[in-house]
Amino acid sequence: MSVSDATTALTEELAARDDMIVCEGVNKWFGDFQALDGITAIIKEREVVVVLGPSGSGKSTWIRCINRLEAHQEGRIVVDGVELTNDLRNIEKIRSEVGMVFQQFNLFPHLTVEDNVTLAPIWVRKKPKGEAEELARSLLERVGIPEQAEKYPGQLSGGQQQRVAIARALAMEPRIMLFDEPTSVIKEVLDVMKELALSGMTMMVVTHEMGFAREVADRVIFMEDGQIVETGTPEHFFTDPREERTKLFLSQIL
Amino acid sequence: MTVPMGDPAATAAGSVEPWAGEREPAQKPDEPSLSAGEWLTKNLFSSPVNALLTVVFSLFVFLVVRGLLNFMFSEERTWRAVKTNMRFLFTHAYPQEQYTRIWVCVGAIAVLSGLSVGLLARVGGGISMKKLSMNLMGTGAVIALGIVLREPSAIVDDEGLALHRDVSEAVGGSFAGWLDSNAFTVLAVLVLANVALAVWFHRQDTYLRGGPEPRIAHGALVLASFGVLMVQQYASGEVVRESFADAMLDRAWWWLAAAALAGAGAALWIGLGDARRRHTFVPAMYVFFAVAGVMVLSSWVYPWGHYGFLEGEFIAEPGSTVAMTTKLPWTVMLLLLVATYHLGRVLRAARAGPKLRVPLNLLWVLTPFVLYWAVLRDPDLDWDHVLSTDLPMALFFAAFGGLVMWFLAHPRIGEAGRVIAAVLVAVAALNWVAAYLGWYPMLQKARISFLLLAVVALLAHNFAGDRSQRMKLVAAWVATMAVFHWLVTLVNSPSTVDTPTDALIGGFGITLIVAVFTLLLAFPMGVLLALARTSKLPIFRVLSTAYIEVFRGVPLITVLFFFTLIFNLFLPQSMTLVDIAGATIGFALFSAAYLAENIRGGLQAVRRGQYEASDAVGLTTVQRTLFIVLPQALRVSIPPLVGQVIATFKETSLLAIVGIFDFLRIADKVISAQSEFLGVKREGLLFVSFIYWLFAYNMSKHSQRLEKRLGVGER
Ligand SMILES: Nc1ncnc2c1ncn2[C@@H]1O[C@H](COP(=O)(O)OP(=O)(O)OP(=O)(O)O)[C@@H](O)[C@H]1O
Ligand SMILES: [Mg+2]
Repeated sequence: MSVSDATTALTEELAARDDMIVCEGVNKWFGDFQALDGITAIIKEREVVVVLGPSGSGKSTWIRCINRLEAHQEGRIVVDGVELTNDLRNIEKIRSEVGMVFQQFNLFPHLTVEDNVTLAPIWVRKKPKGEAEELARSLLERVGIPEQAEKYPGQLSGGQQQRVAIARALAMEPRIMLFDEPTSVIKEVLDVMKELALSGMTMMVVTHEMGFAREVADRVIFMEDGQIVETGTPEHFFTDPREERTKLFLSQIL
Repeated sequence: MTVPMGDPAATAAGSVEPWAGEREPAQKPDEPSLSAGEWLTKNLFSSPVNALLTVVFSLFVFLVVRGLLNFMFSEERTWRAVKTNMRFLFTHAYPQEQYTRIWVCVGAIAVLSGLSVGLLARVGGGISMKKLSMNLMGTGAVIALGIVLREPSAIVDDEGLALHRDVSEAVGGSFAGWLDSNAFTVLAVLVLANVALAVWFHRQDTYLRGGPEPRIAHGALVLASFGVLMVQQYASGEVVRESFADAMLDRAWWWLAAAALAGAGAALWIGLGDARRRHTFVPAMYVFFAVAGVMVLSSWVYPWGHYGFLEGEFIAEPGSTVAMTTKLPWTVMLLLLVATYHLGRVLRAARAGPKLRVPLNLLWVLTPFVLYWAVLRDPDLDWDHVLSTDLPMALFFAAFGGLVMWFLAHPRIGEAGRVIAAVLVAVAALNWVAAYLGWYPMLQKARISFLLLAVVALLAHNFAGDRSQRMKLVAAWVATMAVFHWLVTLVNSPSTVDTPTDALIGGFGITLIVAVFTLLLAFPMGVLLALARTSKLPIFRVLSTAYIEVFRGVPLITVLFFFTLIFNLFLPQSMTLVDIAGATIGFALFSAAYLAENIRGGLQAVRRGQYEASDAVGLTTVQRTLFIVLPQALRVSIPPLVGQVIATFKETSLLAIVGIFDFLRIADKVISAQSEFLGVKREGLLFVSFIYWLFAYNMSKHSQRLEKRLGVGER
């Protein structure tokens, strides 16, 4: 099977699935500076998309618009059939379906690891406390740090913090996971992310880990200056990019 | 009783640190301890400049301390004025026959303090024996130094007045006389000699080599300077004084105390040996118990004298022990404290700590209200009214509100919940409008309850959850209603305590009460103002900024004058604000502005990522504020907040100026007007300063501990 055959097959398979995230002509400005310029993309259910691009290209901004941490000014963003508007109820709904792992992890420093994970299930999902603790234990087990539950984030290593951040996001049992640039990703975290991808989670991952992109991604999106420059399967993207800008970027990063 | 640090049972039973592993951590090596000489060389005589600074400042400290000692122990001091007026100073005119109520209040605070400290204290921590023995020896040495520094006592006549003399005649021709006339020259020579020494040693590089010579030489010259100053003062005084040797002999009791302390410290030091000294710890509370125990015990055995002021009569029985009405309650208080401290430790060992922390904190908040209105004020309840109106109303609001909460905290209530809450808000607002227009006279208590209900109903969905969570919300509501209605009933009942002034109590009592209620009011206000000032809504921002800037721009005393003198003119005829309430409101409004600024600083320290993370997991704004933002912001602002608390506590002394009989005013105006102590002011003022200092210092110490404890797990 040639690369292009595989791509075609995948494209057909994907087309049959539901749309999870739809962006249509999304524009966003910070003051006079246009951070997103006509972003149009559809991400399907169970798809794993890796977003690449040079620093300042708007990757974080895009990903943050998807759970409305930033508001876009033009265009449409529809997540799981719900359009993102200023309507608070829509935002609530989306946020409980989209899990996000931040670049800086942003754990709650005054709460123990377990409380970091159970907080949202208890107060947002209205889960009974015991059930939430049960869930937290199993999630910490899944990300490989069950013994750290009683510690505070400040007492953990960077990689452990990252895994707590993943567990915290997963605790909301989201249908979509957004990973914003987990820079120095350690192997254990990559394994967790791979395992998540295999379990059928819809994922958007900003990363510079080419290995992850090659192995796990269904699709790679390359951004520059707030625009989507090129989209394709990893095979196609890494071996045979169309655009000059992509080639330049890849030559610098690989 | 000691708790060795390595004791596995103690560590396991009481460890707060959840991250403490099973394996015992390796002992951190100690800082090498310096000998006294090494310490002096390193810290005080490390270079010529430092040596001279040491010389100059020790002379300065010497003069100040000596002046203070001479002032305190002078024959001219009438400390009897303070002893006699002790109750006056602390409670002013609170009736003697109801004094048990005061003790109940002190007891309640002792119980809460004991429990809190017992629950929170770190087991295995505390004061090391090394530090304890050093402190004991240090205290002994300080007392000994004080004995020597204080000038010899004056010789008094039969009436207790000091004998005077003609100075030139008395010491003329003697060495003391010569020294007196040439004191300045001699001192100047001594200081110059110090400078010369410094230069010489510097050239010899003795400072760098760290030899003992500079210390010995400078020390000798400093001692000589002290001697000159002491002899000079002795010789130049107009008061006839006993000889130095007699004075030292007269102070036998003090010598004994100094020797006992230093001896105990030395015995500990030598008896324990280096390793045990450093690794044996005694809880700080036990040291406190020991000191308090000695004081209480001495009240039973030592003839401190019985002084007092009862029904216009001064009591003075110098030879007897303290009155039973004083020593017995204090003994009980100490026993209560010891007992509850140990109860706290037992509960902590049983791992009940985390569960008890919230109720205990709530009790602390509730205590001032209960103590003031229920205990001190001794309200005369009108039972008919209570049974016919108050109780049914409380029951209604508890039951109705409880039902509303139960319903609104259902996880899937959704839109219906918001509608119900909105209706309740409308009804609550309508009640006020109706009352204002005089349509129907709903009691103010009911209107406030309704408003409270509406506000809580608006917020209820934030606290929705499973059955137990909803039960908690309902319980919290019922408890709030019970307390609120009970308190309002108490406030509305007349007090049976008969005092000559408007205020129930005066002196330090009113100082504490005003400070505590000020902070209870100002803290929530400060938090709300700070949140408003950082809010996204411009109207909140503008209002809060305006408020803060107004109150920060006006002197506190004008605010107090406004609320005690002018504010009543704006109120309807039937309403008056008593001075203390007015002053408390003024204080609270004022400190709220400052607290708000401190908390705003803390809010700004909360990183944006924390807001984003809370949003990303779907917390509502209220939940985000309560669970994520405020805990972090308040923690960061502990030092300035405590600073503000201390400032507020001290600023209550302005109560004296608006005519309230507070602590300062009693010392300043009341005692000095008593026929027995006409014009005696300084003793009272010194005593008052000391008590203020004692409280402020403890608050500051406590805040440092709090910071350390909360800083756990932060990097
Ligand atoms: N809050 C903001 N205000 C103003 N400008 C912003 C803001 N956030 C981002 N920008 C700008 O938008 C552009 C895109 O930023 P973004 O954080 O999305 O980049 P990125 O692709 O994630 O880069 P990196 O790989 O370095 O994280 C940058 O030029 C940045 O300066
Ligand atoms: Mg980024």
